[in-house]
Amino acid sequence: MNDLNIIYILEKNSKLDLNYDIDKNTIIYNYSVNTSLNININLVCEGVFVKYYCNVINYDNNIHHVIVKHLVSNTCSYIYCHGVNVDNNSLLFYIDGVIPKGSNKSTNYQDSQIINIKFGKSKIYPNLLIDEFDTSSSHSAYIGKLKDEYMFYLNSVGINNKDAKHLLLYAFLNNTDSIDNDKIDFFLEEIDRI
Amino acid sequence: MLELKKINAKVKDSDKQILNNLSLKINDGQIHAIMGPNGTGKTTIANVIMNHYNYELISGNILFDNKNINNLSTDERARLGIFLCNQAPTEIEGVSNSEFLRTALSSKTGRKVNLYTFIKDMEENMKSLGLDSSMMHRSLNVGFSGGEKKKNEILQLKILKPKFIILDELDSGLDVDSLKIVCRNINEYKNENSNCSILIITHHPKILEYIKPDVVHILDNGMIVKSGDLSLAYKIEEEGYKNE
Ligand SMILES: Nc1ncnc2c1ncn2[C@@H]1O[C@H](COP(=O)(O)OP(=O)(O)O)[C@@H](O)[C@H]1O
Ligand SMILES: [Mg+2]
Repeated sequence: MNDLNIIYILEKNSKLDLNYDIDKNTIIYNYSVNTSLNININLVCEGVFVKYYCNVINYDNNIHHVIVKHLVSNTCSYIYCHGVNVDNNSLLFYIDGVIPKGSNKSTNYQDSQIINIKFGKSKIYPNLLIDEFDTSSSHSAYIGKLKDEYMFYLNSVGINNKDAKHLLLYAFLNNTDSIDNDKIDFFLEEIDRI
Repeated sequence: MLELKKINAKVKDSDKQILNNLSLKINDGQIHAIMGPNGTGKTTIANVIMNHYNYELISGNILFDNKNINNLSTDERARLGIFLCNQAPTEIEGVSNSEFLRTALSSKTGRKVNLYTFIKDMEENMKSLGLDSSMMHRSLNVGFSGGEKKKNEILQLKILKPKFIILDELDSGLDVDSLKIVCRNINEYKNENSNCSILIITHHPKILEYIKPDVVHILDNGMIVKSGDLSLAYKIEEEGYKNE
């Protein structure tokens, strides 16, 4: 595709504010370790979409705040946030989808999931601020451990807990197949350490 | 050889006992069938053998090749050569079918898998099961039809080469043609591995036309109430369970 903008956010142990004005179709990949992040995504051109694939591994208390503003009509956002909270700390996701009056025919889709490895305190706050009738939006949120059902299925063909956990976390934290794995080496190595 | 000795089992964290003093011995090379109406505890038997997290063994012993396996974890039991073909296989997004099977195979053999022979083996077996080879790269069971899921379980069986196979409601979700293909593959495997034993769990005798059991047991209320040969299954087909 020639007119697709691709942005990578690859951070470790940092705190940052980011701002993007989206005027053409854009995919943002965020692979971050132990990072707090405010990210503003403004859709400023009619007919464009943004897909935000966020995968985070967390060790301390961190907040991930995503604000997507549909500033013009006929814009779409797909916000996928997956976090693995490794220790007994807190990981908070605030995901705001804003569609003001006049930005009709816009779509805001959110899917947020956090897996706690230990007894971490994780919270997801999905927030849809929609002031326009002619729009569609949805959100789903899941917080929990690695599913027993998944572990059992992998165990039942002889895969031990360590390998099963690794397969599942790898799938969970790399939830797109269109990425060049060389770019995220540091992140994949971090998964091995969980 | 698998032997269940006076098994009492219940749903974990509840008082609901499902298996009542159940005993069963399946020798090497034998095919046994357990039949019974829905809700009598058939799947629970499979789950207790595999040490499923939702069930608790209250008392009794599970022996495999004369060794007590009560304290073995699910993956340890699987690596001994016990294989469960699930009634409803689990879908896992993001874990590819081939990655899953390759990890399982190397866990079982304790060796790194040769990728070339693995892929060839997989392609061959998928062809024989009528599965498109592109399914290798798809997420595990995600978006597979009921029949494809069951075929995928048999693919795992053929790659992992277990000694003891549990088939839980194999025919559910399979049309007649698929059932024939699946059963042909199982029979071929059995012929090539004559020491392998099979436990067929079913509420319907249809599958027993394709995989012929040596012994048929009737389960009621978590107990085996009758055992016999194949004619017992046909009698059930004519008269139903209640006339037993
Ligand atoms: N996890 C569970 N929690 C509560 N009840 C269960 C659970 N698993 C099975 N049961 C109950 O135990 C009984 C036997 O179930 P199952 O072994 O699945 O029967 P079958 O396979 O013969 O249809 C049923 O009454 C079922 O509702
Ligand atoms: Mg059942």
